[in-house]
Amino acid sequence: MKIIDFSIIVKMSVVLLMTSCMALAQVQPTENSPTKESLDSYQFSSEAQRQTFLSLTAELRCPMCQNQNIADSDAMIAHDMRRKVYQLLQQGRSEQDVINFMKQRYGDFVHYQPPVTAYTMWLWLLPVVFAVVALLAITRKRNTQSTTDIDEKLAEADKLLARED
Amino acid sequence: MNKSLWFAVPAVIFTLLVVFLFQGLFGDPRERDSMVQGQPLPPFSLPDLMDWETYYTEQSLLGEVTILNVWGVWCVTCAVELPYLTQLREQQGVRFVGLYYDQDLDPDFGTKTLERVRGEVSQMLRRLGDPYQFQIFDVVRDYSLDLGVTGAPEHFVIDKRGHIRMHHVGDINERVWKHKIKPLYEQLLNEPKLAVQP
Repeated sequence: MKIIDFSIIVKMSVVLLMTSCMALAQVQPTENSPTKESLDSYQFSSEAQRQTFLSLTAELRCPMCQNQNIADSDAMIAHDMRRKVYQLLQQGRSEQDVINFMKQRYGDFVHYQPPVTAYTMWLWLLPVVFAVVALLAITRKRNTQSTTDIDEKLAEADKLLARED
Repeated sequence: MNKSLWFAVPAVIFTLLVVFLFQGLFGDPRERDSMVQGQPLPPFSLPDLMDWETYYTEQSLLGEVTILNVWGVWCVTCAVELPYLTQLREQQGVRFVGLYYDQDLDPDFGTKTLERVRGEVSQMLRRLGDPYQFQIFDVVRDYSLDLGVTGAPEHFVIDKRGHIRMHHVGDINERVWKHKIKPLYEQLLNEPKLAVQP
């Protein structure tokens, strides 16, 4: 039964693609606490501001060291970005202002939440598309298979009957 | 149901997947689009590295095609490219301006004096060649952040109107110069000095 073999391949490639797409779409910042240096060297007027600083440095990505946030990284650029985040917060800028400031200089790359654009939309769309295609394929195949099976069996029965005559 | 379709669809999907993953093997994950390319130089006001009295602004680079070279004595690749940059200046009259930043002159935990930085710079330039018309000192490394610099060396090709036309991450060697930078540099030299006012 060749048809069944191919349907397994379809299902497997769908599963493979779905998992890889979901993994891409769900890139999350690591929840590690920032290094001691950044905690000790910055003074905050309020606990809320300190929390904003911590969450910002956790969700901003170091442009030099690929998969670290700027809180965890010890690269000089990460030091400089932490200092800039602190300065901007001290100036009374909002969390979104700081993110925009960094995005303006380092692109969308610098933020761990990718924006939905025509390009990144596929991260969310592709799994849905594959699921729909797979469902359609499975239901359609079931319908056609049952009728051909009956037709084939009838033809076979007719042959047998003809032989006996 | 068409049997060839059942073969073709997974085959096409698989081929696309293979192509996508295969090219990923050769892609450079560090390569990103520069945000400043095509933009005018961000405004700045910074001192000359060797002379604290002289200040430069984005206006200082107007009127000539300039290659702004981000570097520091602590950067090994920068030291490697210095002789070649000097050769370009002497043989082809390429105009380099340094954007210097120091690693140990940390704004939060300053350990180095300005004299020491200047001493190290002149010593290195004497040894390896000095390609620079002048050097801008990015004192607290703010301006590097504005330019989207992630390390050193990096180069910005700036046209006569003060717009950044190329952001090159990495060193300039003979190959990079010939194939990537020189064609643009010569094109920019032929552009008129004054932009048409909008």
